[in-house]
Parts: sequence; structure tokens; C-alpha cells
Amino acid sequence: MSGSSGEGTPHLDVEELEQAEELVEQHLPKAEGALGVAEGPQRRGGWITALWAAPGFGFLGFYLIAPLVFIVLVSFWTYQVGAKSGFVTDWTFSNYTEVFKDRVYWDNMWSSFYRSLIAVAACLVFGFPIAYFLALKVNSLRNQIALFVLALAPFWTSSLTRSVAWTFPLMGREGALNQLLSKIGLSSIDDPLIEPLSETSVTLAMIQLYILFMVTPLFFTLSQVDRTALEAASDLGGNWWRTFREVILPQTMPGVVIGSIFVFVLTMGEYGTVRLVGGNAVSSVGTIVNSRVELAVQYPQGAASAVLLVLALIAGVFVITRFSNLREEL
Amino acid sequence: MMRRRRRLDWSKFGLGTYFVIFLIFLYAPMILMAILSFQGQFGQLTFPFKGPLSVDWWRSLYDENAQPFHAADIRTAAKNSLYLSLAAGAIVAFLAFTLSMAFRRRWWFRSDAVGFYVIMLALMTPGYLLAVGTQLFWAKLGKEAGIWETALGANVIWGIPFGFLVMVAVWNRYDPRVEEAARDLGADQKRTFREVTLPLVWTGIFGCALFGFTLAWNDYDRTVLFQVASTDTLPLTIGGFTFTGAIRPDLYALGTATTLVSLFTIVILLGVAAVRLRFVGRGRVYKAEEELGVAEGLHVSEAPPERAP
Repeated sequence: MSGSSGEGTPHLDVEELEQAEELVEQHLPKAEGALGVAEGPQRRGGWITALWAAPGFGFLGFYLIAPLVFIVLVSFWTYQVGAKSGFVTDWTFSNYTEVFKDRVYWDNMWSSFYRSLIAVAACLVFGFPIAYFLALKVNSLRNQIALFVLALAPFWTSSLTRSVAWTFPLMGREGALNQLLSKIGLSSIDDPLIEPLSETSVTLAMIQLYILFMVTPLFFTLSQVDRTALEAASDLGGNWWRTFREVILPQTMPGVVIGSIFVFVLTMGEYGTVRLVGGNAVSSVGTIVNSRVELAVQYPQGAASAVLLVLALIAGVFVITRFSNLREEL
Repeated sequence: MMRRRRRLDWSKFGLGTYFVIFLIFLYAPMILMAILSFQGQFGQLTFPFKGPLSVDWWRSLYDENAQPFHAADIRTAAKNSLYLSLAAGAIVAFLAFTLSMAFRRRWWFRSDAVGFYVIMLALMTPGYLLAVGTQLFWAKLGKEAGIWETALGANVIWGIPFGFLVMVAVWNRYDPRVEEAARDLGADQKRTFREVTLPLVWTGIFGCALFGFTLAWNDYDRTVLFQVASTDTLPLTIGGFTFTGAIRPDLYALGTATTLVSLFTIVILLGVAAVRLRFVGRGRVYKAEEELGVAEGLHVSEAPPERAP
């Protein structure tokens, strides 16, 4: 039975291929003629492509590149009280030396980095089984999509609203979780297991907010894993762990890398959530930039700290991409 | 054989249970929030639920005579949010579509990495930083910054990479032969585009618009710097409630309401996708040919030489 289907499929392919080749041969003159005609538009097509690309890249240039370039410029300009928007265009490096000397800034950078690292690791550890379940344990495509959408839905809603929901009803000192834990006897209301407005609650909130950015790429790469390869591995006597390490993991590495980049970048640059879930007790690079920009109107220093954050992000992304050659894999 | 089967089921069962716990982890905060928004007058921020069951906090969102008298502000914010998100959705759809057309024509990922990386940069840039940069840039230009001039742009930037990736997925499944067929049948580029390409990918474009809509509808980081009282948006109102410490169950009602709008857009998207999938099931090529109306001729003229040898 397996023999007939094994022979049948390639046979059909060859037949189709032969038919296609015949077709090409018969129509070669016509095709060449068409190509000859096509040559013209193709050559002239350059400006049509440019026309298609123009609005998008124009917009990206004006609303993305220009502001980013401008942050870099301002970070080298001089702070001056009373000047228009608080700075004059004299070149200086003092903003950076100020930020470099600022211990608070580096403490925040380090704690943001540390928090992001934990978030990435946690999202990977907790997200992988979800993606694995959806991609390899759920059989029909329809069920896969349905369950995936069910998991995806909360991520279409505001992260701010979800932070609110996370902070007060669930994680607050008298929130549902601590009440539950104290009922079980794991902790008491006065000495909660998860302190609200703390490093821990911010990290937990971030995992909750961003885990899907890990699950999605993992899901897509895992669903491309050949299930027959898994069967082959188990037929050849590979145990679960070896199958996982030698068959599944190499194939899902791009997903791991993309997901890690997403979670790392999003948690590192986070501002609203930290401010809301952490109150004044927790700060991130985002809140530091905010305190310079919004409260002190110290744009040049704010810009310098922002540039350093972006450099840290780029460095982090660079390190993560070392784990897999993304451009090859895509 | 039997033992292997059972083991497989066990791992599936375990992972399934874990998946359910994961869903609870995701949905619990919002469900708790929704429940707490139906508290009575003395409702508080956490459990226990303070009765009686009422919709007072919901009423305060739209009824100007209801405590605590912020219905007018919320209406303004809701209007701003709606217009801003609709505009962002429309612009994202247009730009994502045109960009993907450009990539489709000449450059694909490998051959034009720079353009691709610029689009990915839009995804990578922390929203708050982009807002700061935009503010500085506009100050330098000497122009008034506001939600329409700048926050809209910043939100569209956030939506473009998502829309673009949606369109890439759409083009990956798209059969370019239908366009060739149309051209062979004498349709010029404009007509091919209007009558073949566009009808086949419009659901993708619609998906981009919904992405743009939800992202802008929910955004806080990119809008907060351009906040003026009259140009509040709903997320900013929510932020204002929490940061000023005015946290009452009306915040939960507002949060639940905005969440419902977001969920509603997903339902629309899924509905459209379901209808679309049915079409795809019938066979895209034939559908396109039907639309051209001249397809029959193609089959008749091409079929005989194919069988001749």
C-alpha cells in the first residue's frame, strides 16, 4: 500500500514535468516573442518600481529615519536654558560624558538589560511548549489556526490596558493572586509572595505582555519541521531528548532567534508598562529618557541616553543573531 | 505499538493542559478586570467584589450626568482615538501595499536588504524613542506637533512592518500566472492590476488596515508626548487615570470597553479571512479567469496542441 503511493507521486510529477517541457518547446517562439516585448517594459519598469516604493520609503524617511538621525544630532548639541527647545546647535561631546558619569543611568541600563534577559529566557522556556503543542501535537490545520488565534487575541489589545488589568486586580497587594496564595497558605496579605510595584511584578508583566512575540515565530518555524523526520528519528531509536536536540532544535533556531530579538527589543525599550506596573519603584532606560525629556526638558542629554540605549539594542540584537544565520535561513 | 501510542497521547495531554493554563494566564487579568467593572457604588480595585451588581461605572463612560462626570472627556478621547486609528489603518494599508508591490517587482529580500532592514527598523525602534525623536525633529522644523501631525505618523511607522509582513505572506501564496494570463489575453498593465491583482489581494490589504487600526487604537508610548487636553486618546485617558491615582472601577470599564473594540476588529478579520479561504479553496486561477471573462478561450485554444503529440 505504501509502495503504490510512494511510486505514484513522483511518477505524476515526472509526467507533469514532461508535459510542461513539451508545452515550453511548442510555445518557445511565442514565449520569446513575448519576452522581447516584455524587455521594454522591464527596462522602463525601474521607475515604476521607484513609484511603488516612493510613498512608503518617503514616509519611513520622514517619520522614522529623520527623527532617529535627529536624536543622534541633538545628542551632540549643547544644552542651554532659555534657548528654543532648550538647546543650541553647538557641537559638544559633554552630553555623553555626563551620561557616562551618571551612575543611576548605568544602574538602570544594567537592570533593564538584566530584566530583558530574564524575560527572553522565560518567554523561550514557557513559550516553546506552547508553540510545540500547536505546531506538532494539534493535527488539523483548522484547529491549529483556531487555537493560535485564541492565544493571539489578547495581544491585539492595549498593552497599557493589560498592564492595568495585570497590576491591580491580579497582582496588587490585595489582588486575586495574593489573596489566593494567602488562602492556600503560601504567603500572607501583609507579606505577599509577589510584591506589587517591584522588579518581579514588572518582569512578570513583561513576560505576560510579550510572550506571544516568542510563540509566533516559534510556531511558524516548528510547523515547517517535517513530521516524518520526527517519526524517522523515533524509528531509529532516538529518545525524546535526542530527537529534540538533533532534529527539532536546529530547524527552529531561526524562530528562536527572531523571537528573542522581538522580546529583547520590546522589553528593553519599554516605557509605559514599567511606569505603570512598577510605579516609581522600578525604572528602565525608557523612564530615564522620559525624566530627562519630560520633566527637565534636557533634550541633549535625553537624546544621548537614548542613543546609548539604541546602541545597546543593536549590540544585543547582533549577539542574538550570532546564534543562527538568519539571512541564510530566511 | 500500543505502548508508543499511549505515550504519544500522554505528551499531547500534558501539553494540552499546559496550553489551557497558558490561556488562563493570558486571559485572567482581563476577565478579572471585566468582572470588577460591574461593581456597585463602593466598588474597589480588587476583590472581594463589592455589590450590588451594576452598570454604574459603565454608564459614567457615556452619561454626562453620571458620577464622576468625565463622560464628555471620554467622548472626545474616543472620537480622537477612532479617527486617529481609522486614518492610521488607511495609511498603513496604502503604504504596506505599495511597498510590497515595489519589493515584488524587482527587489526581493536577498537582492535588496537595505529596504527590508529599514522596514524592520520601524519594528525595532522603541516607541517612546521614536516619539522623542519626532518631537525634536518637529521642533527643529518649527512646526506645531500634535496627534495629527506627529502621533499619527509615529503610529503608522509602527504599523508598516506588520502590514508589510502580512503582504509578503499574501504575495508568497499568490499565483503570478494569473497576471501573465491576463496580459496574454490582451489586458494592459492598468487593467490587469485593477481587475486581477487587486481583487485577489484586497483581503490582505484589509488585514493591513486592521493591523494599523488596532496598533494605533492601543498605542500609548508613541502618542503620550503629543498630548494636549483636547487631543486625548483613549489609552492616554487610561494612562491619565492610573498615573494621577484616580483609579476606580470606571478605569476597568474603560479598559474593558477598549479591549472589546480590539477583539471586535479581530472577529471582523477572521470573518473576512474565512470567506477568503473559501474562495481560495475553489481555486484562485479559475476565479481570476472567470473575472476576466475571456478565460474560456484560453482553455480551448491551448488544450489541443497539448494533447496532439
